[in-house]
Amino acid sequence: MKSVILAAGEGKRLRPFTETMPKVMLPVANKPVLEYVFDAVKKSGIDEIIVVVGYKKEVIMDYFKDYEDIKITYVNQTKQLGTAHALLQAKKHIKDSFVVLAGDNIIDQTSISKLIKTPSDYAILIKEHPYPSKYGVVFVENNGIKRIVEKPKEDVGKYISTGIYKLPRSVFNDIEECTSQGVHSLSSVIQSLLDKKKNISTVLAKSWMDIVYPWDLIYVNEAMIQSTSASAGGVIEKGVTMKGAVTVGKDTKIYSGSYIVGPVVIGEGCEIGPNACIFPSTTIGNNAVIHPFSEIRSSVIMDDVHIASNSFISHSVVGRGNTIGNNFSTIARKSTIEIEDEFKKLNMPIGAMIGEDCVIESHVVTEPGVIIGRKCKINSLKRIIKNVPSESKVM
Amino acid sequence: MCGIIGYIGFRDAKGVLIESLKKLDYRGYDSAGVGIVDKKLKVFKEVGEIANVEKQIPQIKGTLGVGHTRWATHGAVTKENAHPHLSCDKKIAVVHNGIIENFQKLRDELKKKGHKFISQTDTEVIAHLIDDVYKKGNLEDAVVSALKKIEGSYAIAVVCEDEPGKLVGARKESPLLIGVGDNENFLASDIPAFLKYTNRVIYLDEGEICVLTKNSIKVFDKKKKEIKKKEEMITWDVKDAEKSGFDHFMLKEIYDQPDTVHQALRGRISEIENSIEFPDRVEKLLNSNLSSIQIVACGTSFYAGLVGKYLIENLTNIPVFVELASEYRYFGTRNESSLVIVITQSGETADTLAALREAKNSGCRTLVVTNVIGSTATRIADGYLLQQSGPEIGVAATKTFTSQIITLCLIALKISLLKNKLGSDELYNYIFHLKDLPRKIQQVLDRSDEIEKIAKYLKDAQSVFFIGRGINYPLSLEGALKLKEISYVHAEGFAAGELKHGPFALLTKHTPVVAIVTKDSTYYKMLANIGEVKARGPKVIAIAEDKDTEIESHADFVLRFPSDSPVLPCLSITVILQLLAYHVAKERGCPIDKPRNLAKSVTVE
Repeated sequence: MKSVILAAGEGKRLRPFTETMPKVMLPVANKPVLEYVFDAVKKSGIDEIIVVVGYKKEVIMDYFKDYEDIKITYVNQTKQLGTAHALLQAKKHIKDSFVVLAGDNIIDQTSISKLIKTPSDYAILIKEHPYPSKYGVVFVENNGIKRIVEKPKEDVGKYISTGIYKLPRSVFNDIEECTSQGVHSLSSVIQSLLDKKKNISTVLAKSWMDIVYPWDLIYVNEAMIQSTSASAGGVIEKGVTMKGAVTVGKDTKIYSGSYIVGPVVIGEGCEIGPNACIFPSTTIGNNAVIHPFSEIRSSVIMDDVHIASNSFISHSVVGRGNTIGNNFSTIARKSTIEIEDEFKKLNMPIGAMIGEDCVIESHVVTEPGVIIGRKCKINSLKRIIKNVPSESKVM
Repeated sequence: MCGIIGYIGFRDAKGVLIESLKKLDYRGYDSAGVGIVDKKLKVFKEVGEIANVEKQIPQIKGTLGVGHTRWATHGAVTKENAHPHLSCDKKIAVVHNGIIENFQKLRDELKKKGHKFISQTDTEVIAHLIDDVYKKGNLEDAVVSALKKIEGSYAIAVVCEDEPGKLVGARKESPLLIGVGDNENFLASDIPAFLKYTNRVIYLDEGEICVLTKNSIKVFDKKKKEIKKKEEMITWDVKDAEKSGFDHFMLKEIYDQPDTVHQALRGRISEIENSIEFPDRVEKLLNSNLSSIQIVACGTSFYAGLVGKYLIENLTNIPVFVELASEYRYFGTRNESSLVIVITQSGETADTLAALREAKNSGCRTLVVTNVIGSTATRIADGYLLQQSGPEIGVAATKTFTSQIITLCLIALKISLLKNKLGSDELYNYIFHLKDLPRKIQQVLDRSDEIEKIAKYLKDAQSVFFIGRGINYPLSLEGALKLKEISYVHAEGFAAGELKHGPFALLTKHTPVVAIVTKDSTYYKMLANIGEVKARGPKVIAIAEDKDTEIESHADFVLRFPSDSPVLPCLSITVILQLLAYHVAKERGCPIDKPRNLAKSVTVE
């Protein structure tokens, strides 16, 4: 069976991290989200992947140029109109029943296998969720969908759509019908199928995760990193303490006196320490340098980042190529965050989210939940109390 | 250059040989052929694509065979001249890479003895020489005595119908290596040929002969004394050598550069320790008393050497002379207190190897910068540094050029450190920014759409000039070389100050000029040069840093590279030049990975 993976979206709500890469390429435990989807699809018995790409497609194609053991075909969606329109781009590659997935949702292989094995022509993976109103809410009756409501105003129902379906080829006719009327979302197409009295059976997904906002990177990283196991490459000097599952990539050097408590994933070619502390649920990308006496916990540090000495980074995301001066400090606590003119209240601590290629001088402090854009320059001794747009200077 | 392959084992020889030849096609070829022993020796060859040969081969069972891609040196491109070449009784087949210098004399002698020649090639004499002394059951002795009569260079693979369990190979001055498998073995000119099947390799040394069976490998010297050889593991992945998804190898290799720059720096620099680490042998070479440095290379490596001259002189004050290998070999001075740095991507470039031997024989200390561990160059020189850029398949060098520059920059920094000319703050600044280089290159790649626009404009040009001063001068040469070799647009690189001493005569309003402008001491001179050019009508495309706003009033188009890269902005500039050449060639519909008349590693002089 073939599968279609939708990976054309930009992910505006994830800016600044999506300014130079599509949402599906954001890293979780040093692997793009899309790679988790590919891995699960491959292991579930699917033999060909059709990826619908669009926004920054080169980044995807470049990364997966070495992906093995499964045929990958790319189709281009030039305008990002909606999920149904995206799926339609794959039409000519599909001959039979197929599975469609969103490239930005992490899913496990057993759920996909279960979906494939359902005897019914139409099937959907659903998931129980405490706050269903953010998603498409699915009302279930006799293991089939009764109704699907996209982002209801109140919290009704308890199951949400994961956006993962098994569909017959004939669905492309239904999609074309809908898109010709200007309806481009896949859940509207599904509702139209229900209106036509089609029976869509439901399958409960085991684990499914969505990344919508920048802070989700921290939480999804925390969830996924739990299943990593210890493996040490590189050079680890005498006097380094490592507890729990710590993954160290090749050519990485960890200097004496450093204290690392897993689960922690460290990429290739990094230099860490001496006397640096890295605490659970932290991912550090490739070629990063963490100088002496810095402490990092529950954070995602991406590739090519320099963090100078005596810094404290907690519950934060640091984008690729950042240069952070000494005594940088994030304040992390529960907070309300402003994003896209909305205010989101978080129930977990949150530090700073810093876009790519910023230069932050020494002794800078960030308030909880601030988002700093890409390529910003922040002078020393500044306290960042609100979001900083990309390519700006804080003097 | 010619590529040879030999297979003995359990698989279908047809499939293995064709597959392997396709992996060698980057070496450039005009005809190809295979010989397979399926009870009888059967030979298939054709002019043009390997696929033309593939079509001819019927279902055939043999598991022993040899194959060849030919790049004509002796005799025209014809089916007869394609390899393998056969003995009179058509039982012995030979494939050969190299040049037999005394072939005319040998051919005349053999003709007198009654041997009949079918082709005009030098190779055919080898087949007849072997035939002349061959006694059944002892192919390797016949090969040894045939090779004794030969002057020149060779890498050969030989099979004989009467000995279906044996594959014989030999080399002198042309590359040949053994791929060690389980129940199968390979002979090839280069690793990618068999990398799909095995990553265990034995490098043959000068004058060695090997006899392979399905499950044994014996290597002998010229006197047939057996030699113990060490196996090496190749860490390249077969995927490294495939273009997976990209339109061309060249584009894939351009996009590889953030990663290959990382690789060139890995394990060599440490930000925490503020140090540069080299192997002891290399450090000793650099720490000796150096009166001068000579850099010897060919083609793109020569331009990397010119960039190296600016880097080393700037950091160490030691005079550096850059020489073309094919010239250095016969001319110029030798100085025992000078260090000769030889740059060769493949480690097998014949001109460069000859120059390296010449330098060594004259008592100079020698250091090689190469991409291939175990290559001939690494075994001749006193020390070597690997550029660690992985296999490069596109004929136009891209990622190997940037890695060579990085390696030369590290050499410059190391010498400067050893001579106490570099303070620790300065060193830290260098190391810090070197680590940042991959990001800067990535930023250039992220904006390639601007370059595509300029390429559309350049595609109809008859001729393009590239100009720059200082370190940007060799980049102008490299930019022009890239453009001409893959897009066939005539291009020349000049030192900007030299335009008025001649080249202006060629400048018309139809000659676009690409000017590399960096904010250094030559900035205003460059603006003046652009003014001189504009006065004669051509459009000027400037390559300038992000923060340079002044340039916009001088140039017609501006391509940008990121500011804040005080160390080696030349790498970002190089990537722009590579993308420019690539997109012009693509617009013009050129065969980018296999430009006409060119070969990847030139193993003839």
